Amino acid sequence: MGEEIKQFDLIILGKGAAAFSAAIKASELSNGEMSIAMVGTGPLGGTCVNVGCVPSKYLLESSHAVFRPEHPTMPGIYETRVSHDFGEVMKGLRSYVSHAREVKYSQVIDNYTNVTLFEGLGKFIDKRIVAITGPDGKELDRVKGSNILIATGSHPTAPNIEGLHDTGFLTSDTIWELKALPRSVAIIGGGAIGLEIGQALLHFGSRVIVIEALDALLPQTEPEIGLALRSKLEKEGMQFHLRARINSVSRSRDGKSIEIITHRGKEKLEAEEILVATGRQPNTGSLNLEAAGVRTDSRGLIITSDGMATSTPGIYAAGDCVSKKMFLETLAAREGVVAVSNMFGDDMKIDYDAATWAVFTSPQVAGVGMTENEFSKKNGACSCRVFSLENLTKASIMGETEGIIKITVDPRSNRIVGMHIMAPNATDIITEGAYAVRKGYTVDDVIATSHIFPSISEGIKLAAQSFIRDISKMACCVE
Amino acid sequence: MEDRKVRLRIYGMTCDDCVATVSRGLRNQDGVIDVKVSLKEGIAEVAVDSAKVKPEALLKNGVFTKPSHYRATLVDH
Repeated sequence: MGEEIKQFDLIILGKGAAAFSAAIKASELSNGEMSIAMVGTGPLGGTCVNVGCVPSKYLLESSHAVFRPEHPTMPGIYETRVSHDFGEVMKGLRSYVSHAREVKYSQVIDNYTNVTLFEGLGKFIDKRIVAITGPDGKELDRVKGSNILIATGSHPTAPNIEGLHDTGFLTSDTIWELKALPRSVAIIGGGAIGLEIGQALLHFGSRVIVIEALDALLPQTEPEIGLALRSKLEKEGMQFHLRARINSVSRSRDGKSIEIITHRGKEKLEAEEILVATGRQPNTGSLNLEAAGVRTDSRGLIITSDGMATSTPGIYAAGDCVSKKMFLETLAAREGVVAVSNMFGDDMKIDYDAATWAVFTSPQVAGVGMTENEFSKKNGACSCRVFSLENLTKASIMGETEGIIKITVDPRSNRIVGMHIMAPNATDIITEGAYAVRKGYTVDDVIATSHIFPSISEGIKLAAQSFIRDISKMACCVE
Repeated sequence: MEDRKVRLRIYGMTCDDCVATVSRGLRNQDGVIDVKVSLKEGIAEVAVDSAKVKPEALLKNGVFTKPSHYRATLVDH
């Protein structure tokens, strides 16, 4: 270990989206003068680029390229078998992840000469000093910072199920190393990660079984969307066991055996592989947060103000290690900006109400703001409309009418407080909902805004029009 | 009067005129008693009446907000 403590203006614990966003913002605000220590283990870029958004979207897109020609939706277009090599697809995926990490993180940070990277685990000695240790636990360095940002992210968890660890399983951290397509996969957890990877494997040809403890998919969204997505995935061949508890997991002759308990009693499911997608937990356990006086909640997530300040002055937190409802790469990046801006004396606040989230299944699901139930619980009443894609010309042309757009408004002001979409390109068109929620637009504002015909985005205008007229009696492009 | 020393890390200073501008801006703030700015270290030592001004309020001084290009963070919290 070096004898002297290295002094920095800012220490960032973590190397992911929140960390990079914060380092870049701090460099911009200080005109590149702020000395920054970025401390962390693992590849640059954290979860998103390495084992999260980027590889999962690559896998989904490649799987759709196989699935769609084999399942045409228009008359006169015939099934076409797509020959493919799953192992080569996975090689391409890993190569793309490596490229994205290099271009978006490694080369980017090289441009910031004010940022010094430290490879190792950070651990608070006190509220200003952090020790950096190597894999063997040996202390490599000590750094001191006037301000500190904790952005250490999270990792997948696995439930305590009898036999699970001995039997072995994949997680969203390890599945990217697959060399061959499993004939069948049992996915524990019916959330966004489980459904995205599940549909991708299904589209490549795996038999996919989803086991979920709750009685619905995607509980964060409108129940109509959870139902519609389940129906769509079931039609594609995905099997669901909802309200299911897993009793035990064991090895079997052909792979792995899972005993579940549902209202039907005990059942045994067989699959070649198991994917655990039951959630994530923060990387805060080894930070020695007590030494810095940083408070956490019961799950180890760091408690912050809406300005991302922790319980200790001068220490901020951002990203998946923060106590909040939504864990998204985009939010992490925003939180990093908010934290750093406030170190410079700004009064920036994170706006979770207008944060968009998405599930990249086909069709996609995306949402912003409150659901009907959330708004009603808070305010006693609300007004909402559910628009079916069956009434949308573009969706009919595409043969993808299994979807909805639901808008929730505050009946006192007619302002849009929530928008939830299941549709092709939902992840692109939800931005209109984000503007509406953030700026307080009314359904009249949406109606008065030009939308392309025919397009999926027109569905938002039609959903808004359904507040004022019966759209089943409406011609095209009525204003 | 409760005298307190606050250290600020100042960014964007390149010359003695910058030092003068930052020093003048801070001295004009209500509650600021004395200011010493080091160009070399990029540090300002500000003596304040803590009953009148909190350390964080110094960061909102006009000399550190747009359109000024100088920015500051607290060294000690």
